Amino acid sequence: MFGYIIVNKAEMKFKEFDIYHAYYCGLCQKLREKYGVIGQLSLSYDMTFLLMLLTGLYEPETTVDSCRCVAHPFEKHEIRTNLFTEYIADMNVLFTCYKCQDDWEDERKLTRLIYGKLLSGKGRQLSSCYGEKIRSISLLMQDFAEAEREGTADIDTMAGLFGKVMAQIVACREDEWSENLSRLGFYLGKFIYLLDAYEDVEEDIRKGNYNPLKRKYEEPDFEEECRTILTMMMSECCKEFEKLPILENVEILRNILYSGVWCRYEAVREKRMKAVKTDIRKQQ
Amino acid sequence: MQDPYACLGVSRNASEEEIKKAYKALSRKYHPDANINNPNKEQAEEKFKEIQAAYQQIMKERTEGYSYDANRGYGGGYGTAGGQGGSYGGFGDFGYGGFGGFGQQGQSTGYEEEPRLRAAGNYIRSGYYKEARTTLDGMGQHERNARWYYYSAIANSGLGNNVAALEHAKKAAAMEPDNADYRNLAARLESGGTWYTQRQAAYGYPTMGGGNICLKLCIANMVCNICCGSGGMCCGGRGMYY
Repeated sequence: MFGYIIVNKAEMKFKEFDIYHAYYCGLCQKLREKYGVIGQLSLSYDMTFLLMLLTGLYEPETTVDSCRCVAHPFEKHEIRTNLFTEYIADMNVLFTCYKCQDDWEDERKLTRLIYGKLLSGKGRQLSSCYGEKIRSISLLMQDFAEAEREGTADIDTMAGLFGKVMAQIVACREDEWSENLSRLGFYLGKFIYLLDAYEDVEEDIRKGNYNPLKRKYEEPDFEEECRTILTMMMSECCKEFEKLPILENVEILRNILYSGVWCRYEAVREKRMKAVKTDIRKQQ
Repeated sequence: MQDPYACLGVSRNASEEEIKKAYKALSRKYHPDANINNPNKEQAEEKFKEIQAAYQQIMKERTEGYSYDANRGYGGGYGTAGGQGGSYGGFGDFGYGGFGGFGQQGQSTGYEEEPRLRAAGNYIRSGYYKEARTTLDGMGQHERNARWYYYSAIANSGLGNNVAALEHAKKAAAMEPDNADYRNLAARLESGGTWYTQRQAAYGYPTMGGGNICLKLCIANMVCNICCGSGGMCCGGRGMYY
């Protein structure tokens, strides 16, 4: 995905990170198994979070294996797999296909078009398993593309469309938790979309691409406003999260939701501050 | 409705973890999937629904109790109304509000002179945020007074448009600073951020080194993506940051 929903490794115990990585590797393996190397290329940490979220909530039977790392062939490490690994792998492929299409339409990146086509070839059988979901996500992505083209939609509308897509992905089944998971996914999706917009705002202005934060960029308190908006999204997301009866590995999930998600934000902000300082020095 | 805490068998001072543990234990016992062969499965299902409702009520109070308590007098029974419920198929509205507590009080009820504002208010009280939104949007710019912004904020909040909701709530409060309802709404919509930042303290915040960790994780991710391990071998990329 985007690499925004990650852990803050410095604040984690080694054991916790090992578990997180075990799920990540399980996902990697499943992607390769079902979709080959093409599928493996779409692997991301964001989806690992979702996998651990669903695992924590539903506590499915999880197989723990060990495997050798290519970089360190003498050191074994853990791989964890359960029934959600496959679901997340499927959703990952699905989502990446749409993202490639969107990238192609936005920026005409040929590599994204090609990769997208290769991936959707591999994912042809998905429509039989997830027909409803795919239909809903398709419609949402169409609305999304249209709104981007028109360029008039406000922050909530744009982020909200993406949020709805995430909601579809996170709420994997219709049960007593679908509403909570949908809301969690919705606000997490809004966060991801807005963080992406925050990161790309200068480039988008330069290239004349659509970005819902363009107008706010001109305002003096742009940084603070973005921070407030992003916090609002995470706080709604976390409220839903805390309502879920998750006990296993909950600290890993909390590390991600309360701390990890801000890693990229801080990195982007730092880069921007440095750029501003360099500009000022150049002007002097 | 009986005491939710008693239903789960926990004290009122129980920690969130204790409540979740209690819920999980009871859920394993009474969940319909666990009672397929049980002759008393209808009773089990009834009990499960009670447990579920009790748990959700407690957790709602705990997560939103921050601002919920302040408005307790205004009654719940508000929940996640608003159009379709958790419709699985479509991209239905599943009530993003989590609002509970807006309702009949002091200055806000009673008559609205402007019929459309009155209609919007009624829609909101019944949880029909989309309809409220449509009604409000049909009013001209010059007709948008503090009351309009207040209703708009609530409608937006119910629809998940939390950015606009806060903006409008602040605008209403700015237009009529003496109105306690408007101030409370703005404070309430902002309080989520405070709740979050307080909890954040326990998990640290990415410091200057944060960027390096992200970079390392990203590189590790790319290495994993490119890895073509044979026969089930999977690249851990672990060596990158140990």
